[in-house]
Amino acid sequence: MIEVQALSKRYGDTIAVDDLSFAVQPGHVTGFLGPNGAGKSTTMRMIVGLDHPTAGTVTVDGRRYQDHPAPLREVGALLEAKSIHKGRSARNHLLALAQTHGIPAKRVEEVLAMVGLESVGRRRAGGFSLGMAQRLGMAAALLGDPATVILDEPVNGLDPDGVLWVRTLLKTLAAEGRTVLVSSHLMSEMAVTADHLVVIGRGRLLADTGMKELIAHVAVDGVLVRSPHATDLRDLLIGQGATVTSTEPEVLWVAGLTAETIADLAVERRMALHELAPQRASLEQAYMELTRDAVEYRDDERILQ
Amino acid sequence: MTANTDHRPTYRVTLRRVVRSEWTKLRTLRSTWITLGVAALLTVGLSGAFGYGYNAAIQAGEVQPTTAEGLDAAFLALDLYALVIGVFGILQMSGEYGSGMIRASLAAVPRRLPLLWAKALVLVAVTGVLSLLVCLASFLVSQSFAGADGAALGDPGVARAILGAAAYPVAMGLLGLGLGAILRHTATAITMFVAALLLVPAMLEAALSKSMEDTVMPYVPVVAGQAMYALEPNGPFKMLSAGAGGAVLAAYVFAVLAGGTALLWRRDA
Repeated sequence: MIEVQALSKRYGDTIAVDDLSFAVQPGHVTGFLGPNGAGKSTTMRMIVGLDHPTAGTVTVDGRRYQDHPAPLREVGALLEAKSIHKGRSARNHLLALAQTHGIPAKRVEEVLAMVGLESVGRRRAGGFSLGMAQRLGMAAALLGDPATVILDEPVNGLDPDGVLWVRTLLKTLAAEGRTVLVSSHLMSEMAVTADHLVVIGRGRLLADTGMKELIAHVAVDGVLVRSPHATDLRDLLIGQGATVTSTEPEVLWVAGLTAETIADLAVERRMALHELAPQRASLEQAYMELTRDAVEYRDDERILQ
Repeated sequence: MTANTDHRPTYRVTLRRVVRSEWTKLRTLRSTWITLGVAALLTVGLSGAFGYGYNAAIQAGEVQPTTAEGLDAAFLALDLYALVIGVFGILQMSGEYGSGMIRASLAAVPRRLPLLWAKALVLVAVTGVLSLLVCLASFLVSQSFAGADGAALGDPGVARAILGAAAYPVAMGLLGLGLGAILRHTATAITMFVAALLLVPAMLEAALSKSMEDTVMPYVPVVAGQAMYALEPNGPFKMLSAGAGGAVLAAYVFAVLAGGTALLWRRDA
């Protein structure tokens, strides 16, 4: 279990992480979401002791990462894929890391096989593609057979095969009772991988909740309506208590009424409907809704500056 | 019957294991062997050339062949070799930052300090053995040109001078390592290293009056290093004894490594 308590990190005038508290439970894949610059990577770096917190604490299974006698046994982390000397082979890179803990060389071959790099293990890592480097980073994270796995954007640069492989691996690790914290920008991927979510924006906690609860709470199911009488229909539906928004002529986004009710009302008033489509709320919608105010680099802000 | 069959071994980070890991890191880079090999061959080769010149000077009656003169000729190329070892020391640390390897290294050794200590120990072992061989070979090759006039291994003070000569580059390697830990950036660290060790002493020598020169110059790192392998200090200014020179150099090494240790501990990686 990872416990983040009142964690803050300041770089000069910039507050990267601001009084952040959450816990990551074992047995689940916890998604770590937030806009660019929200403080996800900084938080992950503080979990494994690469950055020192300005205030607050972060512990893994009750102790600071650096206080564990065998840290790689506790936490396997993939933070940036290219954390490797270009001139060294993948195998020797992993061997050097393994030796710090007395992990046998046999384990290096095991993890290389797990990530599908056994055939290129003796090649210099400098020639690796981003996808291969990601796999090597995963191998390093798994080296100590850790109870907790932390992965920053693990599917970056992977082909569809690799994405599926990461998804399956994360679910397997969680099913084995490990703690899994994974960040990603790909909401569709997160929606099928994670079952719990921690969302942060501008270094602050925005949500710490189950996937289903988040979508149900934040995003709203709606109905897409296309009609030549959109303007009249809009007034009619608002009169019935619906929330209606429109981004293009003749198209309405209606929340608060079912498709059946909208169809019946339109028929009564003899208004033609060209399209009537119930829309399920997605993680992406929920995420956009939640982080709307916390996006650091927004288009409109950029124009104003 | 053996018990504990499915019990996983208890892993644990120890200094001994980190040393082993650092040795693996060092030996698995081709550049390690190319750098050290080229530096060693070049140094011994230059020593041969200086030995040839030394013999020519003896024949021409310009130099009286003494053990001290012989040692001077034997170790004339050593400053170049020490410079290469210093840069090699810098790269042990700055190379980790340049490549991003430092993140993986510190995630494995989050207590951080054993990483630097292990690097220092491996550096001392590798460059110590190599430097001893290089200094021995430089001495033998250069003096072979002078034939009977050349200094011999058995001459008084020669064995001590060779040991001192071998210790000097090792100290420079450690200075480089500490500087690499402090500055983290290869090009910056090399610039600082060359400036502090070669340019500043040269400028000091030009700027100081004769009396101040004798007070200051012996404590300049390179000069203190040279004192470790000179039999009779006969340069343009006074030099320390071999032991005092070694102590001064050790103090520099200690100070720079302490600075590197403190920053490695405190800073975000």
